[in-house]
Amino acid sequence: MNFDIRKNFLVASIALIAFAPAASAQSVLDDYTPVTAELLANPPKSDWLFWRGSYTNQGFSHLDQINKETVKNLELVWAWPMADVGIQETVPLVHDGVMFLQTSNAIVEALDAKTGDLLWTYRHVLPELPASWSYQANQARRQKASIALAGDKVVLTTPDAKLVVLEAKTGKVAWEKQVLDWQKGYSYTVGPLIADNKIISAISGCSIAGTAGACYIMAHDLETGEEIWRFNTIDDPDNPKQGESWGEVPPENRWGGTPWATGSYDPELGLTFWGVGMPGPYAELIRGSGKGSVLYTNSTIALDVKTGKLKWYYQHLPRDNWDLDSPFERVLVDQEVDGKVHKLLISVPGKNGIAFALDRETGKYLWSKETVKQNVVSKIDPDGTVHINEDLVPTAVGQPVFACTSVSGGKLWQAGAYSPLTKTFYVPLTEACNEVTPTQSEFTAGNAVGSVKFGPRVLPEGIKEAGLFEALSINPTQGDHKWQHRQRPTPTSSMLATAGGLVFGGDAGRYIKAFDQETGEVLWQQRLNAPIGGSPVTYEVDGEQYLVVPTGFSNSASSISSAFPEVPLPNGNGNSIFVFKLNQDAE
Amino acid sequence: MVRWLAAAVLGLAVITSARAQSYGVPSELLKNTRRIEGDTLHVCSDATGKIRAFDHAVANAIAEMLFLRAEFHEGFGGYPTSGDGFLDELQIAMTNTCDIMMGMTVQENSPFPEWAALSRPYVSLPYVLAVKDEAYMSLADIPVTRKLGTALSSMGERVFITWNQQQPEGKRYTRLPYADMDLMTKRVTDGSIAGMIVWQPVLAALRKSNPEAAALRIIPMAPVPETMTRVGVLMKARDTFLRSQIDQAIDALVADGSIAAIMAQFSYEGVPGDARNAQ
Repeated sequence: MNFDIRKNFLVASIALIAFAPAASAQSVLDDYTPVTAELLANPPKSDWLFWRGSYTNQGFSHLDQINKETVKNLELVWAWPMADVGIQETVPLVHDGVMFLQTSNAIVEALDAKTGDLLWTYRHVLPELPASWSYQANQARRQKASIALAGDKVVLTTPDAKLVVLEAKTGKVAWEKQVLDWQKGYSYTVGPLIADNKIISAISGCSIAGTAGACYIMAHDLETGEEIWRFNTIDDPDNPKQGESWGEVPPENRWGGTPWATGSYDPELGLTFWGVGMPGPYAELIRGSGKGSVLYTNSTIALDVKTGKLKWYYQHLPRDNWDLDSPFERVLVDQEVDGKVHKLLISVPGKNGIAFALDRETGKYLWSKETVKQNVVSKIDPDGTVHINEDLVPTAVGQPVFACTSVSGGKLWQAGAYSPLTKTFYVPLTEACNEVTPTQSEFTAGNAVGSVKFGPRVLPEGIKEAGLFEALSINPTQGDHKWQHRQRPTPTSSMLATAGGLVFGGDAGRYIKAFDQETGEVLWQQRLNAPIGGSPVTYEVDGEQYLVVPTGFSNSASSISSAFPEVPLPNGNGNSIFVFKLNQDAE
Repeated sequence: MVRWLAAAVLGLAVITSARAQSYGVPSELLKNTRRIEGDTLHVCSDATGKIRAFDHAVANAIAEMLFLRAEFHEGFGGYPTSGDGFLDELQIAMTNTCDIMMGMTVQENSPFPEWAALSRPYVSLPYVLAVKDEAYMSLADIPVTRKLGTALSSMGERVFITWNQQQPEGKRYTRLPYADMDLMTKRVTDGSIAGMIVWQPVLAALRKSNPEAAALRIIPMAPVPETMTRVGVLMKARDTFLRSQIDQAIDALVADGSIAAIMAQFSYEGVPGDARNAQ
């Protein structure tokens, strides 16, 4: 009997050993090559190496096999459930046929991008958060943006404020570094940018009481993790105007200024561009800053990549009183007009949905263009000075004001895509307003939370459709409406533009759609299992172009779901990716 | 038509409960089970609550009165001033772990959603103005050229801001919000600010832990209206029997002097039960 058991174990062991090398021998990881600085500067069109595809944050792919004519032949090739539940904002990265997929709670999976086979999984061991840090647990379930690829490594930012560097071939930890003290409230929710052999990252949690006075963008050495520089978005001793803009509020009484989206990088200028979020507390009545503009909140900042010194800043929304922060993607666009190359930075940086163009060498304001209904900015001067609607600044506790857009946007983390083919910026937007009331609606007795109350999100008067896919034609002197696709369900994913003349985006109604870049006509759509989330991404393996679409639980879907009650929202179990390619046999 | 009406009603229900403090809880995070221990009262509290030890003492007294065994859980806590995430975590804790959540504010325009219900207050505790300068005997003695500190986003801050805004512009104080009470104490001590408006239980705790706070005096805040935070127990609205039992226990503990005795242990000033005449 014992012999039989031993024999069976032996057979099973041999089978396992035989299987492992066989699987390993066929692994796409064997052919994985380092993501060099040269590749990062000029990503091959078959890969998707960055959050938004390249240093420019354009969200554009040069692949064109899937195009206006062929898109109708897209077919599902594989799907994969994500490793965890939670709000889904992921961006799959692809290199050499390997897909790296980050999900909530800092889990990374490597998948064969052609077959959907799992190659390895990394699960970050988070500290057992004490009950006093529920906010971090909450944040960990809404991981934003992305990871980064560099050399033979995968770089991850974690909810417990660590940089973790993984071996791309195995998922093993190469090194990790505790960057800031999570016990003060710091937490990473956006992915890093690899530039100039540095890991550039931006911290979150800057509205937590313990992080008063300091919110950072930082650079660490890519090889060693050593900190090279840090820039504080709410306390800049090198710029007296910054301090003055907070009135009599010293740094130790300031909060906010979180950069909520991964920055862009211009290697030629040596500058990295980041957006900064709202001030805290939200209402100036409570934060004590009077009529001060509270720099660098709601600004674009350009930092020298080598030193972290500020080259310039531009504030998109001074005196924010409504949590209408402006931290979203900064997109770099070069356009040649009459023989002169214009280096633009374009963005719909804030929740109020106003599009801006800046000269990215100098920060000079070029133009702005309104998109969705907003009432918080009354005027923007030709020199770029932004005037707020002072009627909407609460002057008493308990005084509600009706602000458009709502705290949920307008624009939110879902990134727009720029197509150099059409010189057009495609942006996912939401029409919504809400009441904003500075109040201390105390939850726990004596504890400092809930200083502003937001009413239900409602449609602006006269508007019946919450969803808007906006196409803005861009040039150095103006931006204008090229087309608008309005619909009841709100957009819930980032956009992807391709050389095939298509722009992809998804919505709360669970549809991934392919629009004609020129006309906005929907050329293809597919309904999936949950609201489309994160960023659709495209890549190529063995000469075939693939489209990967993340889906899952979405706060953007639920924030104004009352505007499309005919579209039921599923539960939160649906976090998945769906991968499509063309049916070569079609026609 | 009926379907659209139903959909509209459903939509209204959804938006009515929507608040910035909640992104919505995925249903798989919520346990769909019933607890079956009939003699145990699962007691939670905000781990960062200012009167947590006091709350536990009150919870023990409530449990004893109901012939139950109080079992304490770590609860949750630690939120940004916006309250981001609070209601999500509260819903998870109350669904999965807790029968009652101690130390919650009972106030008009309660921010809690419809699934939650509050008991009557078991204690009402005031905000106070603490100063170091011996020349100051009341708020009126503090020149408006001096700054004051307030506990960030507190009820005391709200009342002070409202009063301050009602003064002519030249007679308003400059006020700075503080989240770190030791730092605010230090700023009173080093003269950066003339005084600080804090919850009295917080000052009582500071006086035990921070020598600088021991030197501070409480002076009258008039004409700023008195601010009391009324503290109660949060339960699930569907636990109607438990709610009535808790309310009756609180009434009894106030009436027999038990709450007052616990307040004395912690050096709390205020009113057992509901300070009906307070602001």
